[in-house]
Amino acid sequence: MAAPSMAAALAANLPSAPVAPVQAAPKYEALPSSMAKLIDIEADIPLNIVQLDGLVVTKIIKHAREAPSTTAHGLLLGLDLDGVLEISNSFPLPHHGGDDGEKGSKSIARHQASMLRSLKEVQADDSVVGFYQATTLGAFFNQSLLETQAIHQEKLRHGGIVIIHDLSQTARGNASFRAFRLTAAFLDAYKRSSFSTSSLISHRLTFSSILEEVPLRIRTNPLLSSFLGSLTRSTKASSGDVPPANAAPASTLAPSFSVLDLNTTGTTRNLEQIVDSLESYRTEEGNLSYLSRQIARERAKADAYIAKRKDENQTRVAQGLAPLPEEDVSRMFKIPAEPSRLDSLVLLGQIDGYAKNLEVTASTGLVKMHGAKGGSGSDKA
Amino acid sequence: MPLGPVSSAIHVHGSVPADSPQASPRTPTKVTIHPVALFSILDHYLRRADSQARVIGTLLGTRNENEVEVKSSFAVLHSETSEQVAVDMEYLKTMYDLYHKVNPKDVIVGWYSTGSNLNTYSALIQNFYSQETAPYPAVLVALHAGVEEGVEAGVKAYVSAPVGVAPKPENCVFVPVPVDLKFQDSERSGLDLLNTTANSSTSTSTQPVAELEIIEQSIQSISEMLDRVLTYVQAVLSGEKKGDPAIGRYLMDTLGAGTDDLEKSGFNTSLQDTLMISYLANLVRAQAEVSSRLALTSAV
Repeated sequence: MAAPSMAAALAANLPSAPVAPVQAAPKYEALPSSMAKLIDIEADIPLNIVQLDGLVVTKIIKHAREAPSTTAHGLLLGLDLDGVLEISNSFPLPHHGGDDGEKGSKSIARHQASMLRSLKEVQADDSVVGFYQATTLGAFFNQSLLETQAIHQEKLRHGGIVIIHDLSQTARGNASFRAFRLTAAFLDAYKRSSFSTSSLISHRLTFSSILEEVPLRIRTNPLLSSFLGSLTRSTKASSGDVPPANAAPASTLAPSFSVLDLNTTGTTRNLEQIVDSLESYRTEEGNLSYLSRQIARERAKADAYIAKRKDENQTRVAQGLAPLPEEDVSRMFKIPAEPSRLDSLVLLGQIDGYAKNLEVTASTGLVKMHGAKGGSGSDKA
Repeated sequence: MPLGPVSSAIHVHGSVPADSPQASPRTPTKVTIHPVALFSILDHYLRRADSQARVIGTLLGTRNENEVEVKSSFAVLHSETSEQVAVDMEYLKTMYDLYHKVNPKDVIVGWYSTGSNLNTYSALIQNFYSQETAPYPAVLVALHAGVEEGVEAGVKAYVSAPVGVAPKPENCVFVPVPVDLKFQDSERSGLDLLNTTANSSTSTSTQPVAELEIIEQSIQSISEMLDRVLTYVQAVLSGEKKGDPAIGRYLMDTLGAGTDDLEKSGFNTSLQDTLMISYLANLVRAQAEVSSRLALTSAV
């Protein structure tokens, strides 16, 4: 409360700093030399970069903050042009927590269709290019995300992308958006729905090769830029004589210093979540090893049976009798199918995400602590 | 934060008998707008057809005692000719239902329009929205995109009051209401991001930004502020300027904040904790990596 008011009071007293508005020379976006190569019906030009409109940035942040659960998700609308996927709009999808899947997905599909129809009527973009997902503490890996993305892969041009927005990082003062798409190796394995060890080996799949990151940039259209510009300017002009003592601290565009907060309240939660996901990973590994032991046991039984039958046949042949038929072993012994390792893969990805986030928090915390120590002027230690 | 140039509007409000509970709900005395609503309006304005002089849409949000908080907005189809004005009600209902499903707390609080011409049609649309928001009065947010010459970009909000001997829908007075931009702390960083993006020459910025960069920016702006304070203090000390006790008090409060905790053993303890966490995080990541590689080896 004190800091902004002080700044304002200072501003009132100081001769206003001569802020010469540096007018950048207007830059026009170069038109592509040949439009012919942009006609890309089959989506042959690969995506190089994802461009996120300012409107979508605010929409995602708002939805992520207000959503009842931490997993807010919605659809992204836009167009791709010459390798740039421009995302110009988005809309949130309703949250169906306790609903059973069938009914929930149907009503979401209805919601989506009718929203798209409505947006088309007001000349907004209405082609779905992917979806966004809010996450906390860096762990966005989960089964449903991969499944949704795999479904999109077949329906959308370029297979669609997913934008991950990290809530906890945004709260720390660094609005974070990242774009991902599925790798070819994962898709191939997914299509065959085989995540057995051999399949993982042949596709060289680890958690880090499920998704690949696509570079992402934020763009504000000229109208938004100028509007933001005049907003910040008019704040400066009007804060001259009115000390905004009654203004809420959140309602100025003066710099916020939430990024410099030394408090590390999130760390405990982050640690807890790492422990939780480690726990579930351990359970999953336990299941896997139980299953593989069972497989090994059944296989050993089957092998023993075959060997026994062979021995028997040899003695029978030696005695001049007709050999017994080699029976179909697989019918007698049910060897369970090798379990899918996707779950454990995803869990590992989650653990890695949490740990990475923790690492970043810790390292920036270190920097901030040393900064604060230096600033407090006691460098004796 | 005030939106647009300082307005000289007198904020007139009808006096409401405070003691009668059954009296109609109070006229809002303040309107706050979230950035996302404003940006949606701008986007809608950008996508309008050439023939459209202005675009209108519905504002969604919540109401407090006498404050209306606009949280989002959506575009609505309408047509204006010299003879008549029409609003697509069917469309409005559908959209509202869709938005309502996602965020049940938000209700219709009013409408927006671009440009500043408050005419008979505005009154008619206002009348229409008043029915939607009944029993509460509807608010109108007029946004200047700043594309016309001589008109600065800004936002104004109005409530309406009937005027004339016999109240008619096409006659009303639009009473200005103060309007503020409001956002949550967590939305800040998004706005900062857009601001830096808008100020860059290409209007684009790449993501993700390393956290250290943001820290660096913050520290730089702090050191600039300190410089400003220092200049001021020196000016006062040398007698060039008369000291303001209020500022002195603020400085005292701010700079007097103790860092005793850090200076004592607190720093070392905290340092050890942080290093431990960093070590732990690296360890977990290494283990996860090893584990995923081990999964790639077959047992046989």
